Amino acid sequence: MSSDHIQPRRKRSRDWTPALLLSPAFLVLIFVVLVPLLFSLYTSFTNYRLIRPETLYDWIGIRNYQRIFSDKHFWSAFGRTIVFLTIALNLEFILGLGIALLINRITWGQRTLRTIMMFPMMFSPILVGYQFKFIFNDNIGILNNALQDLGLSDGAIAWLVDKPLGMFTIIFAEVWMSTSVFAILLLAGLFAMPRDPLEAAKVDGCNPWQVFRHITLPFLMPFAFIAMTIRSLDVARAYDIVDVMTGGGPAGRTELLWTMIARVGYDNSRMGQANAMAYVSIMLSIAFTYYFFTKLIAARKYMGGAE
Amino acid sequence: MAMITKKKIGTVATWIMTFLLMIVICLPGLWVVLTGFRPNREILAKPAIWIPENLSLDNFAKIFGFGAEQIAIPVPAYFTNSLVIALTSTFIALLIGMSGGYAFARYRFKHKNGYFLGLMLSRTVPGIALSLPIFMVWSKLGLIDTKLGMIIIYVALNIPFTIWLIDGFFRQIPKEMSEAAQVDGCTRWQAFWQIEFPLAKSGVASAGIFAFLTSWNEYALASQLTRSTDSKTLPVGLMDFTAQFTIDWAGMSAMAVIIIVPALILTFLVQKHLIAGLTFGGVKG
Amino acid sequence: MADIQLNNVTKNYGKLEVVHGINLDIEHNEFVVLVGPSGCGKSTTLRMIAGLEEITGGEISIGGRVVNDLAPRKRDISMVFQNYALYPHMTVRENLGFGLKIAKQSKDIIEQRVNEAAAILSIEDLMDRTPAELSGGQRQRVAMGRAIVRHPQVFLFDEPLSNLDAKLRVQMRTEIKRLHQKVKTTIVYVTHDQVEAMTLADRIVVMKDGHIVQVGAPLDVFERPVDTFVASFIGSPPMNLIPGEIALQDGRLHVVFQAENTMPVPRDLADKVVEGQKVIFGFRADDMMPKAHSLPILGEAYDLRLAVDIAEPLGTETLLFSTFSGADIQTKMFNPRRVEPGEVMDFNCALDKTHLFDAQTGKSLRG
Repeated sequence: MSSDHIQPRRKRSRDWTPALLLSPAFLVLIFVVLVPLLFSLYTSFTNYRLIRPETLYDWIGIRNYQRIFSDKHFWSAFGRTIVFLTIALNLEFILGLGIALLINRITWGQRTLRTIMMFPMMFSPILVGYQFKFIFNDNIGILNNALQDLGLSDGAIAWLVDKPLGMFTIIFAEVWMSTSVFAILLLAGLFAMPRDPLEAAKVDGCNPWQVFRHITLPFLMPFAFIAMTIRSLDVARAYDIVDVMTGGGPAGRTELLWTMIARVGYDNSRMGQANAMAYVSIMLSIAFTYYFFTKLIAARKYMGGAE
Repeated sequence: MAMITKKKIGTVATWIMTFLLMIVICLPGLWVVLTGFRPNREILAKPAIWIPENLSLDNFAKIFGFGAEQIAIPVPAYFTNSLVIALTSTFIALLIGMSGGYAFARYRFKHKNGYFLGLMLSRTVPGIALSLPIFMVWSKLGLIDTKLGMIIIYVALNIPFTIWLIDGFFRQIPKEMSEAAQVDGCTRWQAFWQIEFPLAKSGVASAGIFAFLTSWNEYALASQLTRSTDSKTLPVGLMDFTAQFTIDWAGMSAMAVIIIVPALILTFLVQKHLIAGLTFGGVKG
Repeated sequence: MADIQLNNVTKNYGKLEVVHGINLDIEHNEFVVLVGPSGCGKSTTLRMIAGLEEITGGEISIGGRVVNDLAPRKRDISMVFQNYALYPHMTVRENLGFGLKIAKQSKDIIEQRVNEAAAILSIEDLMDRTPAELSGGQRQRVAMGRAIVRHPQVFLFDEPLSNLDAKLRVQMRTEIKRLHQKVKTTIVYVTHDQVEAMTLADRIVVMKDGHIVQVGAPLDVFERPVDTFVASFIGSPPMNLIPGEIALQDGRLHVVFQAENTMPVPRDLADKVVEGQKVIFGFRADDMMPKAHSLPILGEAYDLRLAVDIAEPLGTETLLFSTFSGADIQTKMFNPRRVEPGEVMDFNCALDKTHLFDAQTGKSLRG
């Protein structure tokens, strides 16, 4: 019972196992994400062009940032990206909620419906883009063919070229691909919903809308935040869709931040400037994710309290 | 009486809405699949031919290099690349993800939420934005246009979400299981493989399938970092069908079918576990 | 010899100390129950004995061997968990044999020991089911079977009955007691239910806020609680506790309560108190009975009148609720009759069985 028995054990009480278990994950991410990003942060302050390697050391300070911030094409692409995300995410949430409520009402064949609902989620974005490029094609697309054969339109509608329509078709493809994330998670939320509060609210005199507004919806919000968080992790996959469908064109009408980065970086090989834009896009993504993740954590807390 | 008719109308409306919804979800994909079996001249015909007249496997024979018509696009090589890259990166991501997910599920440590957020944020970086610096670093390391280069990237891409899912699945298993096994004579390692892993198996499998599909479907990075048959994957190869002004719709649709089919089958296999994993990992703190 | 010693054992979570230097000797084959309210450190103590929690300070030895740095598997113990922790992917037979399989025992030995355990707990017909197909009581039995199969030196039970319904709990309690008589082994049992503690234990260890408050045989703890906490925690209904002050009246020391009520100090406590001392007077419901409805009283009896507010008939006895000098008290009526609310009754108090505690420290003055 001497104290030297006890001392060494105190030291051991700090457990390194979790650090050991997490180290492979963090090492890979540092190597593949963090280090390249630091490198690109550096190049965003240089005049680096792919074709001229010596420009890597051509330090130009914040001129890249000045240039893109004073470029009205950049701002219109930035604004379009924000509008695109806002419309797409809100539509996905509202449609997803509607679909979840709809499927929840169905008892027969529900499992099959749920499985079918998951398919768009698993589609390669590039395929979704291709699929809608094909469907919206002005000449041979099924949509125009159908409209013409039904006599609803006599000429070919240029879905992918026309100014507002181009953006519309891209948002349509994006919403088609990602609504199921919301629908599935909100449906899972509806399944997990306890009956007692619903019944209590009915007894307390709420009408169906009030029950939905004050009981169901707040309960579903954490699930919506999970969906938002998952979605915000890879909002940029819309790049694939746009790249296939329009390539950002024509004349930049469907240009998003991400397609602009690719064009400036690879086609014009202005790496430094592209990296500066990339940083803006990264900050945008991080802001989105951080926002929804903190909402999720907050929602988690009161969910925990409800149990 | 009025109540009953009202209810009936509701039911009918529900079914009509569901039917429309299913059409919107299924029709685009089915149309592409159907196109994969049709010849180009039928696809391009004006006025449109609605009822397919010639359905055949010709397009598939063509892109795989059998049959009379030959194309210059090496689809079999792309297919092999996609498979090798996706399988290898999934396997590695699963090992790393299990290790990390277990740490999040079973241990208490400081700034846990912070580390978790850090992982998630690493996934947030847009593929195209990440491709620029990786392009520069990889070209220094000679990893451009190699399968290894893509595998490393996809491992990193899949780690955060794999950890999220696996963390959720391990948390569903009561801690007492592992403790009981340790009291029963297991080391922590044995307890993991004998008790916790078998119980989380289906969850780990669905995390694996999710990772596989992410790699299988990825385009933004692959399109910039692969060049040749050495490493080009199917999604990148799909764009080979698009020339400056013409598109080989038939061949492209056939290739689309090849990309879709594994995704559909795998989705069908995991859908139940995947939903459970997503919600559990997210909601319970 | 599987005796267990805890020497000055402490447990910290970070800076927070939850177990403060516990000392306890558990003898070979003894059935010891750690009891206390939630958060008192009883489960943590048990888990330190099991090796599932690291010991921050002090020393635990099992069978004379210090086990502080030994992994659970090397301690030769077995444990029944609150939620049973049966392995869901194994049949009952595999669950029972798992520990032996890990220890690389031969098939024959596993088979024989598993069957032996199954026979003791009468679960022979459940052997090929999985845990999901078992009822709560059956799971409980399998969990105990898994514990005894390995013939360990020590059994640890962590609130094993708390997930069962009331009826089953009573039944399983008896089975655990029977099991201990059949399989003579040291048992450490944790519960928050004082009835379980009373009925099962050879010795009760009452814990509170990470300290051991009292150790003793169930009846000793019941009859001679060391302080007001033990007095109100052990026994049902809890002991009535009424604050008062010592004063001399008619040549004898009395406890004077609010509203001029008094009660004489029991004779054996007369020299333990002084005039003016603030005390808490305690008595159990069984020691205050309406006249003509009481059990025979040993020693001195004291009469008083009380108005009964509420009566709760329990069958063979009725619990009576009254107010006495501002305190709510419970008394017991044997061979009960109907009692009207507000009825005033004459009571007998078994004065020699009452208790006095110091008002400041809460410690019993019987000492």
